[in-house]
Amino acid sequence: MREAASTISKPVLPPVDPSEWTSTSMSPVHASAMKAPMQGSRDLSRPMGAIVGFLLPALTIYVAFTAYPVVRTLYNSLHHVRPARSDVYVGLENYIGLWGDEFFWKAVTNTLAWAATAPVFEQMLAILLALALYARIPGARFFRIMWFTPVLMSFVVVGIIWMWIFNYDWGVVNSLLRGVGLDGWARSWLGDPTTALPALIFVTTWMWTGFNMVVLLAALHSLPSEVLEAAELDNCSWMKKLWFVIIPLIRPTIMNLVVLSFVGKMKVFDLVWIMTKGGPLWSTETVSTYVYKRAFEWNTFDLGYPCAIASVWFFIVLAGVLLLSILFRQRGKLEY
Amino acid sequence: MNPVVRNWKQATLLIVLAFYTAFAAGPLFWTATMSLRTTTEIAHSPYALPEILHFHKFAEAWVDSSYNVYFSNSVKVVLSAVVIVTLIGGMAAHCFARYRFPLRRVLYFTVFSTIIFPPQITIMALFQIMVDYRLYNTLTGLTLAYVAFQLPITVYILESFFARIPSDLYDAARMDGYSEWRIFWRVSLPVALPALSTTIILNTILLWNEFLYAVVLITDESMHTLPLGIQKFMGDRMEDIGMIATGLMIAIVPVVIIYVFFSEKLIQGMTAGAVK
Repeated sequence: MREAASTISKPVLPPVDPSEWTSTSMSPVHASAMKAPMQGSRDLSRPMGAIVGFLLPALTIYVAFTAYPVVRTLYNSLHHVRPARSDVYVGLENYIGLWGDEFFWKAVTNTLAWAATAPVFEQMLAILLALALYARIPGARFFRIMWFTPVLMSFVVVGIIWMWIFNYDWGVVNSLLRGVGLDGWARSWLGDPTTALPALIFVTTWMWTGFNMVVLLAALHSLPSEVLEAAELDNCSWMKKLWFVIIPLIRPTIMNLVVLSFVGKMKVFDLVWIMTKGGPLWSTETVSTYVYKRAFEWNTFDLGYPCAIASVWFFIVLAGVLLLSILFRQRGKLEY
Repeated sequence: MNPVVRNWKQATLLIVLAFYTAFAAGPLFWTATMSLRTTTEIAHSPYALPEILHFHKFAEAWVDSSYNVYFSNSVKVVLSAVVIVTLIGGMAAHCFARYRFPLRRVLYFTVFSTIIFPPQITIMALFQIMVDYRLYNTLTGLTLAYVAFQLPITVYILESFFARIPSDLYDAARMDGYSEWRIFWRVSLPVALPALSTTIILNTILLWNEFLYAVVLITDESMHTLPLGIQKFMGDRMEDIGMIATGLMIAIVPVVIIYVFFSEKLIQGMTAGAVK
């Protein structure tokens, strides 16, 4: 019963072992392998006064600045919300308005394209890099530290640097292309509606691959080496070993990373806002930038409509996360 | 395998990895070189290394372009938000981990599930609330929003750690007549120091870089945090590449310094939020 309570309370991700954190090796993932000996148990006592005291500050903040805003957003979505005027109930008008809003659909298409592709690129590249380091290459520590740097910078910083990299006249991309004689390929990457979104997707891939790599590498190090050695003896080809042995073993980690990356791309705002503001011709508009524009940029003075967009998107993100976790779980069942 | 073939393979792999390293870390390095060069020098040859190190550009940005204001705002907001979230998140996590009470699981799951919420679902209402309570355009308002924003992940990481502390420690403390509050301070927190430092690093970096909440909740330039200040500076002086690069480095340098000294801990902190 107590066991059940402690597992259910941690829904998606495996628990951590304190002894892991004290060691300098950073491999949080393999903690689950050694949790058994130190299983602490919950105290049976119920000092209600202390419990309330411990929870009250966090719950107050949570209710005031997370739960209440969510409810208020849902409420707004059913109203016209204008400054200095009382809210007018309009039923589902805002939601119906979404159907005919081509900018909204453009934003949805762009965001879904981003959320569907970037996690795949990141994972594929990250797993290859992680395997390279796993193969005891010299300088692995140096590589790992260098590859992780992009994620330490803010989207604002990254956005500005990549605007320069994509600059038409002196940017790195065009300079390289001109350098190898491909002058015809040089273009204004962010100014061309066909290349702007791929360019931004490229930037997020650049930014997050190292991060995913570090996590996957930790997962690889936590694998029992006998399994990999057995695959070696069976004379598996390199690709087969990856596909049939390694990937299934680290699937839970991959799932977490895919979910995380998916959620990140579904809410992407900063990078777009800095680099293109959704342009040119709406080609990089995302749901988040569109919500921001409708709420704070265009002088429509109505928070109801953007709140309707945010509410719809909220449920789509939840559905997406659920769908992903079901997909990953079913594949697990099929293979074992 | 034939050792010659193996060496060749390893050499090829190393070259590929070196290319990837240039790709991953190059932009940061490039920005660092530009931050020490003037815009004229950069216009002349964008990829050259600095010949004269123009460190005075940092002083210029710091004083003349109000980076000192942005920087101190960022420090104030991030430090206070991290202290508050660590404290109240730690208290809640201790409570979820060490006591059994009605609705424990429901409450925990409710707080935890907000990790995947897109910020748009709260941001507009948060704007209204801050206006209602006269917290709009104040560092206090932004700090409170940040505390709420980082609370779920903090509780999550600390709870899983507290739950695994052997209960003998707590039993011993009770025998000694410790109050529950004192147990939290004298047992949970000291034992959980590694986990605490992980959440502190994670929260510091994420909030230092945060942009969306800041752009919605702050308009007044004297309240700008670094990301907002950089964006404003960029908007005002689009062509002044050299100075913009200096501004970027002012935002990056503190993170780089932490990274140089605590790279393992920092990687652990950043990935902890993701993995577990």
